[in-house]
Amino acid sequence: MALQDFLDQLDELGTAAESAFGDAADTETLEAARVTFLGAKKGRLKSIQQQMGSIEREDKPMAGKAFNATKGRIEAAFEAAQQRSNNTDSDSVANAQFDASLPGATFRCGNVHPITQTIEELKEIMGRLGFSIVDGPEIEDDWHNFVALNIPDDHPARDPLENFYLATAAASSGAKDPVGLLLRSQTSTVQIRVMEKTAPPIRIISLGRVYRPDTADATHYPMFHQIEGLMIDTNVSLADLKSVLRLFATSYLGDDVTIRFRPSFFPFTEPSVEADYYWNGQWVEFGGAGMVDPNVLKAVGYDPEEVTGFAFGLGVERLCMRRHGVTDIREFYKNDVRFLAQF
Amino acid sequence: MLVSWDWLKQYVALDMDREELENRLAMSGLNHEGSEPVGNDIAIDLEVTSNRPDCLGHIGVAREIAVLYNQALTLPSPQPDTSGPDVNANFSVSITAPELCPRYTARIIRGVSIEDSPPWMQDQLRTVFLPINRDWKPINNVADITNYVLMEAGQPLHAFDLGKLAGGQIIVRAAEQGEQFAAIDHREYVLQPEMCVIADGAKSIAIAGVMGGAETEVSEQTVDVLIESADFTAMSIRATSRALNLQSPSSYRFERALDPAGVDWASQRCCELILEHCGGTLDAGVIEAGKSTWQAEPVVLRLSQIERILGIKIDTEEVRSILIALGNAESASTAESITVIPPSWRRDLTRECDLLEEIARIHGYEKIPEDVGVPMAASFRSDEDRVAEVIRSTLTATGFDEALTGSVVPLAWTDQFNPWTTATPLRTISPMLLGADALRTSLTPSLLEVRRINQSLANPAVELFETAKIYLPQAEGLPQEQKTIGLTSSGDFYHLKGVIESLLAKLKITTPLSVADAGEEFDGLLDNQQRCTLLLGDERLGFLGQVSKPGLKAFSLKTAANVAELKMDLLVSLATLIPQHQDLSAFPAISRDLNVVLQESVRWDQLQATVEQAAGEALEVLGYQETYRAPDQDGANTKRVLFNVKFRRADATMTGEEADAIRDAIVQAIAANHNGKLLGV
Repeated sequence: MALQDFLDQLDELGTAAESAFGDAADTETLEAARVTFLGAKKGRLKSIQQQMGSIEREDKPMAGKAFNATKGRIEAAFEAAQQRSNNTDSDSVANAQFDASLPGATFRCGNVHPITQTIEELKEIMGRLGFSIVDGPEIEDDWHNFVALNIPDDHPARDPLENFYLATAAASSGAKDPVGLLLRSQTSTVQIRVMEKTAPPIRIISLGRVYRPDTADATHYPMFHQIEGLMIDTNVSLADLKSVLRLFATSYLGDDVTIRFRPSFFPFTEPSVEADYYWNGQWVEFGGAGMVDPNVLKAVGYDPEEVTGFAFGLGVERLCMRRHGVTDIREFYKNDVRFLAQF
Repeated sequence: MLVSWDWLKQYVALDMDREELENRLAMSGLNHEGSEPVGNDIAIDLEVTSNRPDCLGHIGVAREIAVLYNQALTLPSPQPDTSGPDVNANFSVSITAPELCPRYTARIIRGVSIEDSPPWMQDQLRTVFLPINRDWKPINNVADITNYVLMEAGQPLHAFDLGKLAGGQIIVRAAEQGEQFAAIDHREYVLQPEMCVIADGAKSIAIAGVMGGAETEVSEQTVDVLIESADFTAMSIRATSRALNLQSPSSYRFERALDPAGVDWASQRCCELILEHCGGTLDAGVIEAGKSTWQAEPVVLRLSQIERILGIKIDTEEVRSILIALGNAESASTAESITVIPPSWRRDLTRECDLLEEIARIHGYEKIPEDVGVPMAASFRSDEDRVAEVIRSTLTATGFDEALTGSVVPLAWTDQFNPWTTATPLRTISPMLLGADALRTSLTPSLLEVRRINQSLANPAVELFETAKIYLPQAEGLPQEQKTIGLTSSGDFYHLKGVIESLLAKLKITTPLSVADAGEEFDGLLDNQQRCTLLLGDERLGFLGQVSKPGLKAFSLKTAANVAELKMDLLVSLATLIPQHQDLSAFPAISRDLNVVLQESVRWDQLQATVEQAAGEALEVLGYQETYRAPDQDGANTKRVLFNVKFRRADATMTGEEADAIRDAIVQAIAANHNGKLLGV
């Protein structure tokens, strides 16, 4: 073999090896390249070395020198590639291909319904004020929804058109037989149930779904949520009510607010008031409240001469709508997942 | 209640700023809804609560103003001249339905001339009627006067053309079934026996307290008029007004407890104004039928109760002057109490607490402090609340959105799918939303409906859960309200099962989850194969399954869905809310993979039981990996199940030999129990 041919082959091999090691993007390709060029049995460097035997004797020192230079060149390229590979995470793409701005692999996280979020916040605040959360049935009898709440037989609140009374359906005729039950129209029913089986003092929050036959529109829905508070003790007054509502509103709004009472009328409280809070330069309706009517205390077996108490009730949807800028109550019950994802 | 600024001036001096007055009224019980100019007058809209019918007339509102501003109240005291014959000589009234009408009075004025009412009266009526009825026009002097007295005193009146009344009599009776009536609005109404009518000797001439009749209304030809002033039963008026969908200023007032003294006062006031503006002569006396049963009772206010209930001290003289200014008569007092007899127009004042409210609202609620030290108290969080929070956090973390759906659903939904009960669902008498009158017995149809809505909105990912009650009818008493978690996913059966397993793990429920066949009750909505009942121990937790093709079709769903429902109270009772620390082994674990060939009929839970039993205490993890089938090598009806076992000893490092021995025991047990064998052995 002519010396020049041998030298050309060496040069070509060196260039090819540098290129292969330089391009190796991961350890696997690098290893494959190493086997190709530096493999102990069948590597290309090895095979070119075997060709040295056919070089003329006088050319051999020159060829040997050139071989060693190329070998050093290839080994250096390999070491450089190996070094680079060690600096990069295993199996990762080459620096040139890495794009930190590509979107991450996201997890889909669900959302708690805004009404539940509001309820949980209100519960949490009232819990800090010493009120425990109680639950009760949504289907109620006459006693708990009306009689014990001092709502007499002739009160308009009992009107069939104001309530969802229940019936069993006669399968054949389709006629409905009233069963003396109704979907509760207020969560005060739970207060009665708690007082019936618990001696004072009482400090509770009842909340949940209530039902009133309103035609669904932007501000009405026949099903909504109420949160009601009740505090009964030996010495509870309207001043306690106002103070608790102020703490409640201040905690909810995150700033000191003031409370205003306007006279109102509810069968189960006397005196009855509408409570407003002053926020952002205006009075905002908070909810109905008052001192528990002595007839209610008597109905559950308490002595109005021994204990007094206050009660208040708030509409959860209204608070939630105002807080989050929701303008149509029906959105809450449509459950468009894009709507739910906003909260 | 709309009041006219000019009108009020007749009874009380209005020298205060109007907006200040409106605010003051709102703060003392007459909520200000708005004001608008009408001609040169102002109509002020005040919200009157149902316990205050006295404020459904200008006099009542003027009285409130007089009390608030400590001003004199000037009221008319009607004393019409009675120059005619005895009214009872020529006409009679009888009540045959005293339960509908306890009291009815009539006066007769003869020889009136029907003209327009005086302009000042028209102006004041316009102020209070035009804002609610833009077509409102004055009628004639007699009709306008009855409306004027209605708006002055809050007592409704009716004027009949005496010449059109047959038989010289009025009978107040219950309507006959299906009785037809042509009302003053020139429409025909069909009446029911629960309704009260006013009849003459021949037929009905008015729907009592709601609307008069066209035939007997006062017209230009009218010469003699009969003025009705009566007390009708509130419930009956309300029911009639609702049933006929006929609301009038009269019916609105009769639905409340009106002033019993107002019946005669308004009648005399009306007659006085008719004599003044329409001429004629008033028959002597009044025709009275029935009587008012209401009697004012003394009410004792113990002064100690003021601070006890209101939380503030109020000077006794101020308390006394508030009560008296409101029209109460002080009847007896001691150093500790004031006893009053409330006025007839305040039938709502019957108890001490009623007087306390009067004192509070006139004294001013703004004087009640909002910074008293309410004692601290411990509050308790229920287990259910704690579990509900874990459920929400776990399910949202696994990609589920919380939905809230209606409790009342179309009957077709409960007919189609009734997984929890065999009883027919309860119904509401009137539907909650269009076509929805069945109390739901499952959350699944509601959630599938939400899937449909989201599909129509082209929302790609619809993973939903809801925690709500379902209503399971019981043989007697209140229905069982079962708090239930409903789930629906676009993922497959095992995805949703995995979500449920993750939830159980988060709740630290150690009772094992198992499955059982789901029965026919699931046929309506779920796939025949991919469905199961879920059990925790021996208790039914709920169900899981893929929605069947007919089920998808019923809800117009284009893509597959899996659904599940879980009983909340079982989760609450089995959850570990206060987990206890367990010592952890400090020694390394050792794993073995197994690939066994089994008959197709061997279920994972059977294999699992065998492995767990054979492996004993050292088994830390049994991990299912996959199942695949190679019938050519293994024979028909076989499968290969790959799983991993991880062993660890609490007291020492487990050796490879020990691990192999356990693995061999597992293989032997699988061979013995299931006739299975390790692949390649």
